[in-house]
Amino acid sequence: MDSYNFHWNVVWDAFPQLLGGAFTTLHVSVLSMLVGIVAAVFLALGKMSNSKILSFLSSIWIELSRNTPALFLIYMAYFGLGAYGIHLSPYLSVFAALVFVNGGYLAETFRGGFQSIPPTQYNAARSLGMNSVQAYRHIILPQMFRRIYHPMTNQFIWSILMSSLGILVGMNDLSGETQRLQSSSFRTLEFFIVAAAMYYVIAKLVLFAAHLVSKRVFKGELS
Amino acid sequence: MKLVKKISMVVASMAAIGALSTANADALDTVIERGALNCGVVLDFPPMGYTDKDNQPAGFDVDYCNDLAEALGVKSNVINLTWADRIPSLISSKTDVVIGSTSDTLERAKSVGFTYPYFVFKFQVLSKKGVEIDSFDDLKNVKVGAAIGTTYETEYFKYADEKGWGRDNYTSFKSENDAFLGLYQGKIDALVSTNTNIATKLASGQFDDFVAGPYVPNYDDVVGIIAKRDEIAWINYLNLFLIHQVRDGKLNDLHVKHFGSPVSEDMVKALIENR
Repeated sequence: MDSYNFHWNVVWDAFPQLLGGAFTTLHVSVLSMLVGIVAAVFLALGKMSNSKILSFLSSIWIELSRNTPALFLIYMAYFGLGAYGIHLSPYLSVFAALVFVNGGYLAETFRGGFQSIPPTQYNAARSLGMNSVQAYRHIILPQMFRRIYHPMTNQFIWSILMSSLGILVGMNDLSGETQRLQSSSFRTLEFFIVAAAMYYVIAKLVLFAAHLVSKRVFKGELS
Repeated sequence: MKLVKKISMVVASMAAIGALSTANADALDTVIERGALNCGVVLDFPPMGYTDKDNQPAGFDVDYCNDLAEALGVKSNVINLTWADRIPSLISSKTDVVIGSTSDTLERAKSVGFTYPYFVFKFQVLSKKGVEIDSFDDLKNVKVGAAIGTTYETEYFKYADEKGWGRDNYTSFKSENDAFLGLYQGKIDALVSTNTNIATKLASGQFDDFVAGPYVPNYDDVVGIIAKRDEIAWINYLNLFLIHQVRDGKLNDLHVKHFGSPVSEDMVKALIENR
């Protein structure tokens, strides 16, 4: 190691490309998180539902996503489906795999959130004349999201970090660009250090943004 | 007392020299003292490097590692690398040398020490039968791919950017094998790789529906062995080793073994001229 001299100017010259990659990283992880949240609400409700089929299908999704590596899922979305003539772009493969993983993990978090709310609240809402959707929309979901806010942001950060696996299918995200740049210049350590710092900044930015949103939506009442 | 003083001075200076000489042990000394050469090869790039049916490292680069170890009189220890691992493996001293078909660009030479060239590749297009690719310019209209961070990717980008093609029809792959898998599955219509790798894949019989197309215009991919940049004596030894490989006919023998034909005069000329 003592023979290695750091050349940072190479990295600064390539900074626009790294920023482009960082944008793709942010893009795919935020989008897959948002879609994952919606999927997770339905999965959690599906798993708790009395319908055996719904509960069974939700369980399959949740079990598969929580107990298989994201790496494998991304690879399957890209080359696995490719073997059957279905060609997703690298971006779509990573997006689909991350939605699958986020949905599965969040579903279990959400289920915990739902179950922490006494069923009497639902009954009370119904007795006030709300239909089932209204009861969930106005009574259950707002409380549930407040309770699971922190675990949800954890998953968000996981989603950002997992998107780096996109390199496996040639996505031009922050990792992909880093890989390409270090390979043509051979300044491996410099590029990896800067990429790690950029992931850190992205994660912090997302946390901050989530905090702002939560303040607005929950009006500071986090439990 | 004088004698004691003298003796102690001699002892002290000898100790100092001893300490100095160990501190100055360069890569060449280290390898010889260790009795083993840690030689990095990319085993994802037939016929230069691959694993044979017994899962053992094999290929042109692996044979060069073994020849080098034999010349040094030490055991050969082949270490499997990806393209991206080559430099980190040298910096962290996991490898003493990487014989990994490394293109000797001036950009890279700022970071790592190159020997004389030991092989020259051509970059070539492989496409599905029925996809008409008569010249390199035809790539504009089809889906193209290559392994990420390779010199042929860089060359393709350079060419495409010059012609103003844009990069929308381009897909990069994590590795050489994934690029071939992508072509096989129809994710891309054509890929760019080295003529040697393409010839090997075509000979394997798995790519009968594909044809080798045009070369990347006006480009010879000249590759060298790499080592730590400051290990001048070591690189010096490696250079002499490469000269001996040509002079002693080993290059030719290995070319016959791995490519089925004697080494061309053009290549020998290119190797000598590029020294």
